Amino acid sequence: MNTQRLQHVVPATIIFGLSIIVAWLSFTEEPAAAYTFPRIISIIFIALAVWNFIRAATGLSRVGRGIDFGEAKNILPGMVIMLLLVFWGAKALGFYVASSIAFFAAYSFYDPTPLSSVKDWAKRAVVTLLFMTVIYVLFSSVLQVHTPRGLFF
Amino acid sequence: MEFLSYFGGVFEPVALALLFGGTIGGLILGATPGLSPTMAVALLIPFTFHLAPTQGLILLGAAYTSTVAGGAVSAILLKIPGAPANIATALDGNEMAKRGEGARALQLSFLASGVGGLIGVMLLIFLTPVLAQWALQFGFPHLFWIAILGVTVIGSLDSKSFVKGLLSGCIGLWLSTIGYDDIQGAERFVFFDALSGGITIIPALIGLFAIPQVIEMFAKGRRESKVESLEVPKYSFMDSVRELFSSIRALSIGTVVGSVIGLIPGVGGQIAGLVAYDQARNFSPLKDKFGTGHSEGVIAAESANNAMVGPSLVPLLTLSIPGSPTAAVLLGGLLIHGIFPGSDIFTNHPEVVWTFINSMLIGQILMVIFGIYTAAWAARIAKAPVPIMASGVLVLALFGSYSVGQSMGDVQIMLILGVGMYILEKFGFSAAPLVLGLILGPIAADNFITGSRIADAQDGPWVYFFTGPLNIVLVTMVVASIGYSFWTNMLRSTFADKSQKSAGEAPAE
Amino acid sequence: MKTLLKTATLSVAALAVSATMAFAADYPERPIGVAVSYGAGGATDFQARIVTMVAGNEDLLGQPIYILNKPGAGGRKGWNWFATEAEADGYTMSAYNIPHFIAQSIKGGVKYSADSFEPIANWGADPAVVVVGKDSKFNTMGDLIEYAKANPGKTTTSGAGLFVGHHIAALQIEKACDCKLAYIPTKGGGAAAMKAVIAGEVLAGVNNLSDAFRAREAGNVKILGVADLERNSFLPDVPTMKEAGLDVDNSSVNFRGLMVKKGTPQAVIDVLAAKVPEMFKHKRVASRMKAGGSPMHIMTRDEVKAMWAKRQDTLADLLKGL
Repeated sequence: MNTQRLQHVVPATIIFGLSIIVAWLSFTEEPAAAYTFPRIISIIFIALAVWNFIRAATGLSRVGRGIDFGEAKNILPGMVIMLLLVFWGAKALGFYVASSIAFFAAYSFYDPTPLSSVKDWAKRAVVTLLFMTVIYVLFSSVLQVHTPRGLFF
Repeated sequence: MEFLSYFGGVFEPVALALLFGGTIGGLILGATPGLSPTMAVALLIPFTFHLAPTQGLILLGAAYTSTVAGGAVSAILLKIPGAPANIATALDGNEMAKRGEGARALQLSFLASGVGGLIGVMLLIFLTPVLAQWALQFGFPHLFWIAILGVTVIGSLDSKSFVKGLLSGCIGLWLSTIGYDDIQGAERFVFFDALSGGITIIPALIGLFAIPQVIEMFAKGRRESKVESLEVPKYSFMDSVRELFSSIRALSIGTVVGSVIGLIPGVGGQIAGLVAYDQARNFSPLKDKFGTGHSEGVIAAESANNAMVGPSLVPLLTLSIPGSPTAAVLLGGLLIHGIFPGSDIFTNHPEVVWTFINSMLIGQILMVIFGIYTAAWAARIAKAPVPIMASGVLVLALFGSYSVGQSMGDVQIMLILGVGMYILEKFGFSAAPLVLGLILGPIAADNFITGSRIADAQDGPWVYFFTGPLNIVLVTMVVASIGYSFWTNMLRSTFADKSQKSAGEAPAE
Repeated sequence: MKTLLKTATLSVAALAVSATMAFAADYPERPIGVAVSYGAGGATDFQARIVTMVAGNEDLLGQPIYILNKPGAGGRKGWNWFATEAEADGYTMSAYNIPHFIAQSIKGGVKYSADSFEPIANWGADPAVVVVGKDSKFNTMGDLIEYAKANPGKTTTSGAGLFVGHHIAALQIEKACDCKLAYIPTKGGGAAAMKAVIAGEVLAGVNNLSDAFRAREAGNVKILGVADLERNSFLPDVPTMKEAGLDVDNSSVNFRGLMVKKGTPQAVIDVLAAKVPEMFKHKRVASRMKAGGSPMHIMTRDEVKAMWAKRQDTLADLLKGL
């Protein structure tokens, strides 16, 4: 079994497991009347998941090349920023502060220019400020969306 | 030809200013992620309090037409469909933008919207009485079958693998059942608190389309080469016009599908673009180019979702039944001024109705002009360096998904769905069929359950769901669609498997 | 060290108290949101937008009110959100629909009850009416009941969901006539239920008076009866259920108004309870509501409190054994 086949077997197994859970819940939870439609879906879901699993296990599944280690390493910092922003920062620090930090952090990290140059740091700060101003005007002034203020504003 | 005599009302200074303001404002609101046309029109209602009835309606009409078209901007440039109507536009439009053809894609999308929209409004002008009766024919069983018909295109939509397409759609259908069952009011599949409200469609759209893209950009890492994501060459307006009219097949399929589906109350706008896109592909000799940045895809999708605007108002104006959420908001706009839609509205308030309809005609044209004018300028957004683009889309996704319902739960669901979708995409699953399942699931389920209750009180489900000319036509279409998609996909995969063995690597499963 | 800590704690506490005081005195200092548990364009949304349109006037709240739509599951989604996620600072209010949310909380499965909220004021009362298509063979409530008695469980009657005003009215009619209807809950609120009646998909329907009035003006339906204690000024020719010989009271009347979350500072509630009824009484609000065919019924906070308590009892009784 080569790596690619293995890569395809993992999601196929997870999806198959999910389909079993969905079916189990659909046929056991009450009130039954609310689950008529989920039941129909879950049966089709299991059938398709099995089909997909067989294809993956026999190596027929070739569309999509999976995730390689190098990519995962590149994604990691961005992913951390994203998760922190959505699950903690946005509420704790306020939308505008948290977004500014997240924008600046992600931009700085993925910007290929050397990190020693002061000029580039300044440029990134200015871009962040400009972008957040646009967002502020659009959402707060024009659309009057009241976002969590958190610590600052 | 009565409507011609009311054109004067559209060209009064105040009306004209509102028309311009409504169109430009609508384009901007439509291009903002998280703002569907319904919300945009609802936002404008307070402004109409201070206006005369006709003026208020001119503003709303212009805004409605241009928000639908404006949604294409973020769909094409950022791959964030502002509303379900623009999903199909994102499929090919964003690929074009990535190739640096953003300006071309935007120009084509506005032109196609304009053509589709004009024809749609024309239908509203000339065929309203006929169409109104037709729209009423669609009852619960028929809406159920239409939703199922939509489900049947899932397998072939933007997916290189048939089984994975179907499976994506199935996951979408399941996701749509999370949260409260609308009729029974029982909670289903609520694994954690944020899910108790169910999955709201706009945050889901943002997550499923925008987040995988952000992660994709992160995956490139700190790359020295190619600081700018792409070049945006200017694209001549006349070339776009020529291209539009040489793609007459996609344009007419889009317009026809959009107007027909737009008429059906309750289904309309959400799926017009996707169904038109799928049909345009089925009839195209260049089938395989769809999804890779093919202009026909953009043309079909955008002509359909603007063609739907006119006919979707037919049930509202003649029967006082809003056929779509946006039409419901427009109804509010009429009621505030004491205008009750109904079969006699054209005789009781001709000046209001005709001015409103005329303003949508002019609005379509203005929308094309402003849209084209800004296309080249807007396309430069896609030129931003990758790190700015990635961080920017992330922040927009946060604000966009929050602004729909001011709920952190929506934002968290958005991110979870997005990360999940990124992983799934890496293994050949795709977002479009999943979203289609998410949209159609509730329509199918609710109409099935309501229909079953009526059927139980009458002659039973068999008679209720399978007899009557409209049911038979729809069921036949469903069977034909399933058969067709199995036939082509199985056949193709058989050939692909054979060639695979000889060639080793095959592009398609 | 200990004293220092103590002083610090005390001063923080004092700061917090004075902050709340100042907060209440300045209230409101920014726009106030009103969460509506139904979709944009629905009757509740439409009326909420009208009755809040003058909030920005200096003699009223002095800050505009914006509407936030949270549709889903017959209103449960919106009220659940309001009861669990919204902040109790007076900057997020919610529109209530009685009997809907009380009936739902009695039925269970939701995260709120009448005790989770504090009423501010009531703006409207929309009685449920019974409608049939314009070509229907039924001309009076009597015709309909006669048919229902002859064909138990076959009289399909549409309404906007389970445990909403329409459903309550249908239940009361069934109880009063001792017959069995086939209640058909539709998704998409009153509009979808009305469409089913106009298109002849169902034999009859229970719907909002305001929507039915409009549909009758458009020549699409006949209105057989109104589930209220007295005839409505919009429909002086339509008899009440009592007049039609059915013992149905006004429990199903859809009262709409504004409420805040329990735990909102009393000072804020006082400001709102004083100003909001004034806002509802504004003459521009009245004229717009009248133009839209929406009956108004303004009640103060104390009156609403009494009404909620009364509904809680009647509904608990009616829904027992369901």
